[in-house]
Amino acid sequence: MKLIQMTNPSSLSIISTKKIIQMNDVWTSYDSKNYAVHGINLSIDKGTIYAIVGQSGSGKSTLLKLMNGMMIPSKGTIKVDYQTPNMNDKKFKSMMHKIGYIPQSLGLIKNISVLENTLIGALPRLGKIQSLFKKFPQEEIQEAKKILNLVGLSGKEERKTYMLSGGEKRRVAIARAFMQKPTIILADEIVSELDHITAKEIMNLIADAQKRMNLTAIMVHHDMQLALQYANRVAVIKEGQKILEIGVEGDKIVDFQTGDLTSQELMEMYSDESKK
Amino acid sequence: MNQKNNLMIGLIIALIIVFSYNIEASPIDFIEGIPNLTIVIEEMSQVDADLFEIAFWAMFETIQMAFIGTIVGVVIALPLSMLAARNLNSKFVYAPVRAVLAAVRTFPSILWAILFVIMVGGGAFAGVLAIIMYTVGFVAKLQYEAIETIDSDPVDAVSSIGVSKWQLIRYVVIPESASHLLSQVLYMFDYNVRQSSILGLVGAGGIGFYILGHIKWFEYGKAATFMIVIFITVLIIDWISVKVRDKYIVKSQHGMEIKAK
Repeated sequence: MKLIQMTNPSSLSIISTKKIIQMNDVWTSYDSKNYAVHGINLSIDKGTIYAIVGQSGSGKSTLLKLMNGMMIPSKGTIKVDYQTPNMNDKKFKSMMHKIGYIPQSLGLIKNISVLENTLIGALPRLGKIQSLFKKFPQEEIQEAKKILNLVGLSGKEERKTYMLSGGEKRRVAIARAFMQKPTIILADEIVSELDHITAKEIMNLIADAQKRMNLTAIMVHHDMQLALQYANRVAVIKEGQKILEIGVEGDKIVDFQTGDLTSQELMEMYSDESKK
Repeated sequence: MNQKNNLMIGLIIALIIVFSYNIEASPIDFIEGIPNLTIVIEEMSQVDADLFEIAFWAMFETIQMAFIGTIVGVVIALPLSMLAARNLNSKFVYAPVRAVLAAVRTFPSILWAILFVIMVGGGAFAGVLAIIMYTVGFVAKLQYEAIETIDSDPVDAVSSIGVSKWQLIRYVVIPESASHLLSQVLYMFDYNVRQSSILGLVGAGGIGFYILGHIKWFEYGKAATFMIVIFITVLIIDWISVKVRDKYIVKSQHGMEIKAK
């Protein structure tokens, strides 16, 4: 376990990078009565790992759905690479392949092979006739095999996904997202319910790809330690509100924004996290 | 058991009594009719073994009718089920398609057979057309209901890539509902074989034609020969059906190995 040291906030250096995702005062709800997200402000730099941490039902997954346009806010604005996310909007739909979304449920198709599940990531590049007859170009098949090798699934290309372990299924979902040739990865609790070693392997896989492909990875976690270990910034969400945002550099916390959080609430939150 | 459940059971029993009175159900008539049944059974037990060859070929014709009718019916039903699924289409698409399918289902296959006998004349072809119509109405309904209940997670995950609607159908909806479809095809084939045996009663070919002929002349023993062949065929189809289900449906749904005993 990594120990995080606090540095003096006055010694922080401000690095100017392109903001790839921006949320300003975003509110949204699943029904007309209760808001799942209350006035969230987020600003995510391109080419960084941004972790969103919180308890179940805190609104973490909703934030990811807002980023990929599967949900739209009832109030506030969101920009993803200068576009307003909405999956029913043609302009945004044409750039959705750049966002590799890995839901908590993984969303794999159980009756088809690992290779076919991976190739689904290439569908936006495939013509209508090719799609109809499942005729993927040879170079796409080779690319999929290369990615499967990268995620440690070499030799399991023809297996049906229902035959795989939990860790292997997560690797297939990651491979499908990589196959999209994304610039942004949205991963929703992809290491929950996994043993410590497998969880670390999966996280390393994402972290390595993020560096190599200069991806922006937004990862939702339960585990604060895991978030601090891998992310450049960590936002803590509680009951639909961002209560804390931390900037991390190596072993050090370099930025600490508590917003409206009182020191008492912060203490309570940390004791809640440590109990889990 | 709470009061609400007792009330419900009481209501069902009351309805059975009222409806039985309305349809003139008479247990006395049933009991008095048992000796007539024993006469028929006794005559049916005098099976005419010489007719087995004719029965076999008539059954073969029936199976051919059911096979063509099932496959062609399913091929027509599949795209219609995609159009009738509420989770894939707007109200303006699924509502009229559902109305057409409901109209097709209104007629049982025997009525379709009468219609096609009038249209194309007696024989197996009229029977095949009747089976196709019934299969379309039935399979399309079962399939669109299966599509509406598929797991929404893969649909959401693949939609988020920005794929077209047809790619979503081809790569998610069809594979995810394939086990349901296979199950329905097997059931429909089984049903259509039994159904094709009856279509002969209205002159639409198949083994039923022979059964009707012998029953008309009170030759219950000869009719029984054909019924035995139907019975054996249905048992064989049922056995094959179980094997296919174990191999392709049960295994894919639960991810477990099925070993034949």
